[in-house]
Amino acid sequence: MELIRSLLRPLHRWVWLDTARRARKLLRFAETEADGGRDLVRAAEMTTDSLLRRHFLRHARDEQRHAELFRGRGAALLRVLPEPPRSGYRADWLAPGERGLDDLRVEELEVDALLAFLHLSEKSAATDFARYRDVLQHDPPTRAVFEEILRDEAYHMNYTFSQLVRVSPQHHRRLLWRARLGRLWKGYLRLAIALAGGISWLILTVLYFTLLPPFAYFAKRSARQEPAGWRPVSAERNASLDRQY
Amino acid sequence: MKILGISAHYHDSAAALVIDGVPIAAVQEERLSRRKNDAAFPLLAIEWCLDQAGIGPEALDAVVFYERPMLKFDRILTCMLREFPRSWRAFPKAMKNSLGEKVWMRGVIASHLGTPGRKVLFTEHHQSHAAAAFLTAPTQRAAILTTDGVGEWATLSIGLGARRAQSPASITLLREVRFPHSLGMLYSTFTAYLGFEVNEGEYKVMGLASYGRPTLVNEVRRLIRRTPDGAFALDLDYFEFHTTAQRSYSSRFIDLFGPPRRPYEPIDLHTAEGRRFADCAASVQRVLEDTLVEIAVAVRQETGLPDLCMGGGVALNGVANARILTDSGFERLFVPPAPGDAGCALGAALYADRIHFGNPDREVPDHPFWGPTVDGSALAQLAREDGQPCDEFDDPELIERTADDLLAGRVVGWMDGALEFGPRALGHRSVLAAPHAAEMRDRLNRDVKDREEFRPFAPVVPIEAADRYFELPAGGARLARFMSGVFPVRPEWRTRLAAITHIDGSARVQTLEQSMAPRLHALLKCYGQRSGIPVLLNTSFNLAGEPIVNRAVEGYSTFRRSGIDVLIAGRTRVAKRASSAIHQEQVACSRSVAG
Repeated sequence: MELIRSLLRPLHRWVWLDTARRARKLLRFAETEADGGRDLVRAAEMTTDSLLRRHFLRHARDEQRHAELFRGRGAALLRVLPEPPRSGYRADWLAPGERGLDDLRVEELEVDALLAFLHLSEKSAATDFARYRDVLQHDPPTRAVFEEILRDEAYHMNYTFSQLVRVSPQHHRRLLWRARLGRLWKGYLRLAIALAGGISWLILTVLYFTLLPPFAYFAKRSARQEPAGWRPVSAERNASLDRQY
Repeated sequence: MKILGISAHYHDSAAALVIDGVPIAAVQEERLSRRKNDAAFPLLAIEWCLDQAGIGPEALDAVVFYERPMLKFDRILTCMLREFPRSWRAFPKAMKNSLGEKVWMRGVIASHLGTPGRKVLFTEHHQSHAAAAFLTAPTQRAAILTTDGVGEWATLSIGLGARRAQSPASITLLREVRFPHSLGMLYSTFTAYLGFEVNEGEYKVMGLASYGRPTLVNEVRRLIRRTPDGAFALDLDYFEFHTTAQRSYSSRFIDLFGPPRRPYEPIDLHTAEGRRFADCAASVQRVLEDTLVEIAVAVRQETGLPDLCMGGGVALNGVANARILTDSGFERLFVPPAPGDAGCALGAALYADRIHFGNPDREVPDHPFWGPTVDGSALAQLAREDGQPCDEFDDPELIERTADDLLAGRVVGWMDGALEFGPRALGHRSVLAAPHAAEMRDRLNRDVKDREEFRPFAPVVPIEAADRYFELPAGGARLARFMSGVFPVRPEWRTRLAAITHIDGSARVQTLEQSMAPRLHALLKCYGQRSGIPVLLNTSFNLAGEPIVNRAVEGYSTFRRSGIDVLIAGRTRVAKRASSAIHQEQVACSRSVAG
């Protein structure tokens, strides 16, 4: 594992070197943290366990604060750029934010499964954030943001684990393994969806340039003949509700 | 007849159930899923509506979708063809987006609900808006004006509505302006240019407009020209919303108005750049108002009717609504509490009931409270579990204590009865505060709402006292029923109502009839007796990025995370402990973690 990490280090350095990309990534992280905070609020609203509710609400407050830290630093980096960056490559697969790329559906999870999921995602976020901090020597303010957030991550990892053991003393290990497998499965699904998306994009783009030109010619011609201003609504359109067009 | 209306897949999905011509339930999906502006197929909302009536999907006589999916697809495809080859980037995304689920709505609805396909009906988008506006308004005959970004093809429609007791009603759309020529898209383009989120930040543009001067009106008029027949057309060289999903304005637009605002930078109104953005907002607001007023004047002259019903997202623009009321010649202007797409769920169901099935007209109760009811005992249980001080009172005592809280400068989370349908908190899921000092506005912006300083807060006032504090024109009190108009605060009250008076001396006032929300009305009266002014600041009960709260537990979690001091749900009152106690709780929380 350490070997993989050290091999990835130059890549991470490259991801975080460019100021525009760094700004975009931090702003993206801010959104992820804010979304994560809302998920935790939802979890607090769903649970009937008052201790868990307190933890989730505190965790949600932390996530909100992290979002503000990321947003503030991202905006500060944008300010030093000569012009706003166009949406470009963020390398999210290589350097994800908290929760990685997982879509969390709080309502669909039992509380123990939720805690297992949160524990793993906090652990992985802590590892990732530590890695980002380590390659950010050239940008002390951004590094300080990660430092500060990492302090909270330790609490998040601890409470999710201790609460998981409390609510599910017999099965917590099994739950953690299930959560790990769930993350793997979701990773596979993301890959498959991305692949399918790429293939469909290619097919549709080919169709666009091969099939559409004659139709486009007629559409443009009819558009030119279309008068601007009011268009009457036919009585027939006011009548039937059976049609979809 | 039992008819379910559904709106989905664009901005704010919702479901509404109409039984024997009267709405039984209506709720936005976001209020149940807790995802702001949830556009997903509204399964939770449908389930709740059916539960509320105690029926299953098999008992429905019809399910009505609020627009015609194939007609919408026709527009999307035609626009792609017209913009060939510039549309090549947008084409794959648009096709995947449409062909995935959106065009197969009959099948989607049938499979989700298990209803036969023949029971699934489709209204046109602007028919739904028109029905939501006209069939819920207390008027027998009215002109109808619906305007939004876009539905299928129409972006603005003119029509007529007529109803007689115990006879079928009629809604006839006469003419329309078609995409890409759209007032909603014009306004949204400026929303994006000013760095706000489209379909969410339009309120901010309206609020910002008051800080600017309409110095760029001539420039905005280059974007939108009036056609000889009285409609309008956009100069598409300035826009890109019809060719790409990436950006709605073109480079030529930037040449005309200057660089766009960076979304993450706050607007500093003390700088030239900040004032330029405010002037842009003021200018597009002025052009929008002028265009709407001119169209409304023509409709008034053509129909000779005294009443106008407005629907569509543009009808959420309270400043424009107030100008239409005062300048168009209409005596009354009706805007429903949910004029946007969510309200189309109710509109579609009512349209099917009255017009498709020809059922006799029935009066629709004139309030917005069609959602789930709050349970005070649930709040009491939560508070007890967390060791928060919690009391239960009978109504008179609760009202008096709340008035005292407000007078003492406390911020009150107020949950009462059924949830509002539509984007505004109209007294059942509200954050209430004293309206007198500007510091209260700043405190709410900072500690509760976390939003820009230029956004105003709205007041609520008993309808019988409204004229004393606000300059309401004839018909203004009606328009203010659902907070749909912005009117001047009387100059002599502006300093004493500083928290709700906008920079230009106006306020988006809600005039409250006792029958609509009796407990809030009683609170206003009680507060008026103590403070001398029966006006309260009323803002929606939610935090930034979250939907308005629905159940007690959501109110409670919002209360815990914000600067709200007191929470009321039904007859239960929870007050926040002193800050030292909260600190102790947090310390205890940390210790338990460490342990």
